[in-house]
Amino acid sequence: MSPELIIAIIVTVVGASTPILIAALGELVVERSGVLNLGVEGMMLVGAITAFVVVFLTGNHYLAILLAAAAGLGTSLIFGFLTLSLSANQTATGLALTIFGTGFSALAGQGYSARPVTLLGPLFPSELATHPIWRVLFGYSALVYFALIMVVAIWWFLKKTRAGLILRAVGENDLSAHSIGYSVIGVRYLAVMFGGAMAGIAGACFPLLLTPQWAERMTAGRGWIAVALVVFASWRPFRLLAGAYLFGLVMTMELYAKAGGGPLSVVPSELWAALPYLATVAVLVLISIRRDASTNAPACLGKPFLPSN
Amino acid sequence: MQFRLEKRREPSKVMVYATPVAAVVLTMVVGAIIFSLIGYDGVGAVREIFLTPLTNSFKWQDLGVKAAPLIIIGVGLSISYRANVWNIGAEGQYIIGGLAATWVALATHGMTGWWILPTMFVAGMLGGAAYASIPALLKTRLNVNEILTSLMLTYASVQLIYYLVRAPWKDPMGMGFPQTRIFSEAARLPTLIPGTIVHLGVPIAIVVALIAWFIMSRSVFGYRMRVVGAAPHAARYGGFSENKTIWLALLVSGGLAGMAGMLEVAGPFQRMVPGFPTNYGFTAIIVAFLGRLNPLGVIFAGIVMAITFVGGEVAQTTIGLSSSATGVFQAMMLFFLLAGDILIRYRIKRVVPAAEVRA
Amino acid sequence: MTLSRRNVLKAGAAAAALPLLGTKAFAQTEPLKVGFMLIGTPNDNGWNYGHATGAKFMKDTLGDLVAEPTIVENVPEGPDCERVLRELAQSGHKLIFATSFGYGDYVIKVAQQFPDVKFEHATGYQRSDNVATYNARFHEGRAVCGTIAGHLSKTGKAGYIGSFPIPEVVMGINAFVLAARKVNPEFTITPVYISTWNDPAKEADADRAMIDQGIDIIAQHTDGPAALQVAEERGIVGGFGQGADMAAFAPKAQLTSIIDHWGPTYVQSAQAVIDGTWTSADRWPGLKEGEVQIGPYNESIPADVVAAAEAVKNGQIDGSFNIFTGPINDHTGAEKVAAGVTLTDAELLSMDWYVEGVNPPA
Repeated sequence: MSPELIIAIIVTVVGASTPILIAALGELVVERSGVLNLGVEGMMLVGAITAFVVVFLTGNHYLAILLAAAAGLGTSLIFGFLTLSLSANQTATGLALTIFGTGFSALAGQGYSARPVTLLGPLFPSELATHPIWRVLFGYSALVYFALIMVVAIWWFLKKTRAGLILRAVGENDLSAHSIGYSVIGVRYLAVMFGGAMAGIAGACFPLLLTPQWAERMTAGRGWIAVALVVFASWRPFRLLAGAYLFGLVMTMELYAKAGGGPLSVVPSELWAALPYLATVAVLVLISIRRDASTNAPACLGKPFLPSN
Repeated sequence: MQFRLEKRREPSKVMVYATPVAAVVLTMVVGAIIFSLIGYDGVGAVREIFLTPLTNSFKWQDLGVKAAPLIIIGVGLSISYRANVWNIGAEGQYIIGGLAATWVALATHGMTGWWILPTMFVAGMLGGAAYASIPALLKTRLNVNEILTSLMLTYASVQLIYYLVRAPWKDPMGMGFPQTRIFSEAARLPTLIPGTIVHLGVPIAIVVALIAWFIMSRSVFGYRMRVVGAAPHAARYGGFSENKTIWLALLVSGGLAGMAGMLEVAGPFQRMVPGFPTNYGFTAIIVAFLGRLNPLGVIFAGIVMAITFVGGEVAQTTIGLSSSATGVFQAMMLFFLLAGDILIRYRIKRVVPAAEVRA
Repeated sequence: MTLSRRNVLKAGAAAAALPLLGTKAFAQTEPLKVGFMLIGTPNDNGWNYGHATGAKFMKDTLGDLVAEPTIVENVPEGPDCERVLRELAQSGHKLIFATSFGYGDYVIKVAQQFPDVKFEHATGYQRSDNVATYNARFHEGRAVCGTIAGHLSKTGKAGYIGSFPIPEVVMGINAFVLAARKVNPEFTITPVYISTWNDPAKEADADRAMIDQGIDIIAQHTDGPAALQVAEERGIVGGFGQGADMAAFAPKAQLTSIIDHWGPTYVQSAQAVIDGTWTSADRWPGLKEGEVQIGPYNESIPADVVAAAEAVKNGQIDGSFNIFTGPINDHTGAEKVAAGVTLTDAELLSMDWYVEGVNPPA
């Protein structure tokens, strides 16, 4: 493999990984607070159509990202209200949210499909990215760097801040967090809203970063890969980063192998597609065998908070 | 906030029955208003989606056929959820059940005999149960969260279908299209009522729900599941093994999902195709909750869901309502139903504004 | 927020359908109701868009003879489509087009229950008294594209994004590379199958993977413009619109496009039903009948290349040229079709081998 090809592969992998990384970072915070929102795919689609329409109407990519975040946040409030205020079942509500997002985005997007937009250009001036090596570092759009910054920010937030500690406490033991005076529901609302905003931005990556068009269901299941990724990374931001690029590599290596021939091209594409999920199960098994407390699922994950019980 | 929720001493019997009905009615009213406001024929949409499937007797067979797999899977899930075992991978167990039955059908292709269908039936159930035993094993041995494993395994099973129908099981006469050959007569479910599409799966769904209701409310097994779910500590005290319950919950829900897979592939599909996973396993999660985790409630919930699917297509042909609009209607109904849940366990009470308020 | 075409269609469909609800007898003097069943939505800029446009063409051409066409979208290939077919037949549609391969079993089944309704199944092969099949000779358009590719490609390498290796796709790849090798005997093509008809991000990544490994021409047999958009972004020689003119998405990169023009065949069928002359048949028209059309050539293409492409097109229209006339070697170099022999339609419809110049997928 030539250095140019390796660099080209890296660039494609980074592109493919970014939306799942952003969505998974949001879901990581949500799950750390003890909530399982399976509506990521739906919120991503709402973000994708919002970003598309905004950039089509205004041409302003950053406004599109901002409003996609707002749209994702708004969608997540439906989930938050039902599961947190009304303590509805999180799994069923998350699935319903995906049905909603899929239908709503398709409805809102009618008439926008034959319209092209432009991708969000690289963040840095092109002079910085002329040499292939520099291209790996400076050749991307702002969304890619945003994802990387958020990895560090979320790690710092969870590990180093008081607010992060409270969030983790709420996810690990909601009753004691409640008893020492924290608003479990309030914290979880904030986490769910953050997750929604991130899913919205992840959706915006599709028309702004990957393929500048609107197509119904264009996220094509990547919201579920994001859910898998959070588990694969055992709820840790830096593992999530590595996992996202690994998943992105698996998703794109299939295509590179098929396009270029060679030994990997005989692996059935179905096995490539199943790999992220099988790897996630394997990781779950591994962390359970190691019984490393820091890699376990948040203890309250998916359970409603009912203080008066 | 001027209202607060107060826990009822007993779950409200009235609300158990009233909230689903209220949710459906509310969806119809709110849906009609919202869709009219954004420029659709809102009243027409509600009429076609919710009423036509019920009033047009030609649609009843469709309701039965569409509801049957939802009910069978939903019943299994409701048993599992009662025991606090969160199997959300029924879609995968449904797929593996369908594949196991397909394997029997392909292996016996061209043969005749009454035993082929029962063999497929057993294979389907075993397939679904076997796939559900992976999360069961990981949960009981390693305490791995079954929500996550069962969900991941579902996505892997979808790829297994794609692989099998594209390569080893591909129909030799199928012009290269990724699908298996059509099953022999002996491997297809007979039509029950001539001139309709009602197959054996429809009565099986009702029987499964009735048996499950009887077992859950009258037997030691049902008692064990309910006690373990409601009060795990008391259950341990009473000598019920938690691991055994987890195994039972997953094997029963997986086996029923596999049964539904077998009935679908041998009935409506009659061959394995990439389009076999139609989200029945996920929709059944919603059905189980709509049915209040009660097998008889699941029958009702399965039919309600089937109405919206069938009605959605009616609305497309008669008033040109897009399929995405139907999706929004469905989601809206689910939101209202899930929201209504709380009224069973809580009552809404006005609070004095001065009181300390928690969300 | 909705496209006006859809609103018109919807209003018309509602007005036409309401008095006919149920299964009342259908008087001959009323306009013919025609139904279309789509696997996706008309918004895909590709396959489904082509059929919806054809439906509109039929209505525009036949006017009051037909009602506003009824379009049912997002119908999965499975038992759900059986229900939609019955719904259409019961609500008075006398001519129903099922536009995806996987509907085949169910079309045959429902057609037995409604002997007075005519069904037409696109890309299928099962027929009965009231079920016809139809398709288009897309590979004729591929031969035109391949000619352009042979002239313009600098690397002599093209990529081809396919969904599944079905005969229709294999035929298109073979026609493309046969035409290109008549210009440049060293021309090769690499097909990448992505196992889906519509996942734009995956199409785009497949395109990137091929461009990074040296192709400078891209062709695709999936439903959207994603691959062309990447070609535009990367500034390679170019690609071809599939199903519809996609110049809006890739003004520089789209060299030309293959346009599905189902309108005339829909007019013909509807007219035949109205006249009572409809019979079951298998129709496979192409460039000659105008069902397959070549879109405008990109201005950047030199005049002699346009002339060569036009020659291939016109040769196929007047019957003097057939891309599948031997000698043709398979991908190993062994002779598969002798000189002067032309592959029959039946051989084309079951094509599962690649010609010389194709790097066969594993």
